[in-house]
Amino acid sequence: MTHNNSNGTRALVLAAAVLLLIGSRLAGAQTPLDDTAASISRTAEGRPDLSGIWQSFTTANWNILAHSAETGPHDGLMGVWSAQRGGLSIVEGNEIPYLPWAAEKQKENYANRMVINVTNDPSRFDTGDPEIQCFRAGVPRANYMPFPFQIVQTPEQVFMIYEYKGAYREINMDSDSLAPNDTWMGWSNGRWEGDTLVVDVTGFNGYTWFDRTGNFHSEALHVVERWTPLSPYHVRYEATIEDPNVFTRPWTMSFTLYKHIDPSAQLIEFNCVPFAEELMYEPLGLFGR
Amino acid sequence: MQVLGQDEPPPSALINQGTEEVVEAARAASIRSGEETFAYFEGEVDEALAKAIERVWDPERPRTPSPRTPWGDPDLRGFWVNGTYTPLERPVALAEKPLYSIQEAIEVFQGDVLRDAAVDPATVHYDWTEFGMDNWQSPIPPSRRTSLIFDPPDGRIPPLTAAGRERWEAQARRDTLHSRHPTERCIVGSEGPPRVPFIQQIGESHIIQTPDYLVVIRQSNNDVRVIPLDGRPHPPESVRAWLGVARGHWEGDTLVIETTNFHEDRTWVRPRGLGGNLHLIERLTRVAEDLVLYEATLTDPTTWEAPWTYEIPWPRMDPPGIFEWACHEHNYGIINVVRGAQVRAEEYEAQSAD
Repeated sequence: MTHNNSNGTRALVLAAAVLLLIGSRLAGAQTPLDDTAASISRTAEGRPDLSGIWQSFTTANWNILAHSAETGPHDGLMGVWSAQRGGLSIVEGNEIPYLPWAAEKQKENYANRMVINVTNDPSRFDTGDPEIQCFRAGVPRANYMPFPFQIVQTPEQVFMIYEYKGAYREINMDSDSLAPNDTWMGWSNGRWEGDTLVVDVTGFNGYTWFDRTGNFHSEALHVVERWTPLSPYHVRYEATIEDPNVFTRPWTMSFTLYKHIDPSAQLIEFNCVPFAEELMYEPLGLFGR
Repeated sequence: MQVLGQDEPPPSALINQGTEEVVEAARAASIRSGEETFAYFEGEVDEALAKAIERVWDPERPRTPSPRTPWGDPDLRGFWVNGTYTPLERPVALAEKPLYSIQEAIEVFQGDVLRDAAVDPATVHYDWTEFGMDNWQSPIPPSRRTSLIFDPPDGRIPPLTAAGRERWEAQARRDTLHSRHPTERCIVGSEGPPRVPFIQQIGESHIIQTPDYLVVIRQSNNDVRVIPLDGRPHPPESVRAWLGVARGHWEGDTLVIETTNFHEDRTWVRPRGLGGNLHLIERLTRVAEDLVLYEATLTDPTTWEAPWTYEIPWPRMDPPGIFEWACHEHNYGIINVVRGAQVRAEEYEAQSAD
């Protein structure tokens, strides 16, 4: 091997390497997403098509009001694993207008949020956050849990399937049907107002909470949701909450939903019943005599 | 309740529920006889039979092309009932007879319906006038098949392997939570996948379809299966699910669903002995306006010596469709069943000690 003109050769090799590098980055470059409102996908009927996998990224499941980061439960065992992020409020005005009795009840809920007393007496109401026991999250909480959910839209119905527990809702479109019974996820009737899906939800059984801090409602809960796409990948979610048994006036929460865009995006089964069984049933002696 | 098929029940089995003395005492105490309960339903039974015998399921009849969705796929949408009087396995006496004639099929069906409608007061634990969800009260048709299983040709589940036999024994239900089936714990509904008919009133499902997904929502436990149709692969074996992970594709008029990745602890009421290694192929074909044919092939060389295949016709069901089934939310059943088994076990031990 000769070393004539070695500096020039080296410079050429270096330049070639740099060009190769740039070329490969260009070849691997992704096409930017078109996230303008004009490119919102639409159904044959011209309505926005909300089909896809969505998720919110607030800390509202922990506390729908503004809160700092804080130590979590059993920190002596779990350290930072159980700690919670801080977050801003999803509630407009950062205030829940409780009736006086309800404000006291929320404090009681908070104090007992991890107290689980499972009984087989149907006249008693178990305490604690229903989420700890893997009970259904209800509406609107299911929409701001830290899990994705999938919307499958047909002209007659919109289905929402939540990764948390595989719970689902059927939104009956253009229907004034009444709830046939009280349920955890409520009874949803929907209609389009322009590009906004307005969903009227009633028929709740009153057992769900709004978050892990014990914010609650009764079976008279009435939720009106507004789902407005801002782009193919963003939906603005608003929910107006009414419950004359618990609140002095209606109040509203809102946040943004983001679409999962990886082609491989999918709900991964989160069947939490086995995760709750020791907490729920071991004290009853069901694990063995 | 059946005594588990042993002469000497183990101490922790649910015992004495089905002894003849207990049953006779219940009959004597009942305010109504079996004949009276049947008389209550007789008009309905006649009407149901008249409709059913017009729609005998005949696997040999030629199929018509499937109706299509607006976007051109075969149309499986709607509410469908997974129910039947046909046994899963063929009675040994009928080993050489996979199919009845149409007339025989009708006669067998009538016999099954009459037996079902004649309620034995000893076995009813709801008010018998309210628990009106017998199979004959749904649009299930008589069938020419003598068993749901048609492969192997003798219509019976192939023999268990040694590992399968061990698992069968281990799956005996006892007096602990973890020995109970996932259905009793409200982890999954009572029918798979695969959809082996269980008890009659919970065999309904709702099929929703788009070009990219087939979604099946079941009444039992409200289990939801979201099945992508875009050809994506299954996840690796390290991702498991109680309902398995399903992928679907079209073969002509048939949707073929391949399900793997079952949870390691998954067990089934039927078929017993199966564990999480199941490789399941299901096929859905719309064979008539009001009928979807469901076929399933179960393969697990760690459980059975050979795969087996069965089919069951699903008639269309009228709305209203599926209701919320919040099984785990206040599942008093599991508490009472396990505590009851513990009490029985203690009684049995006390008796044995005497």
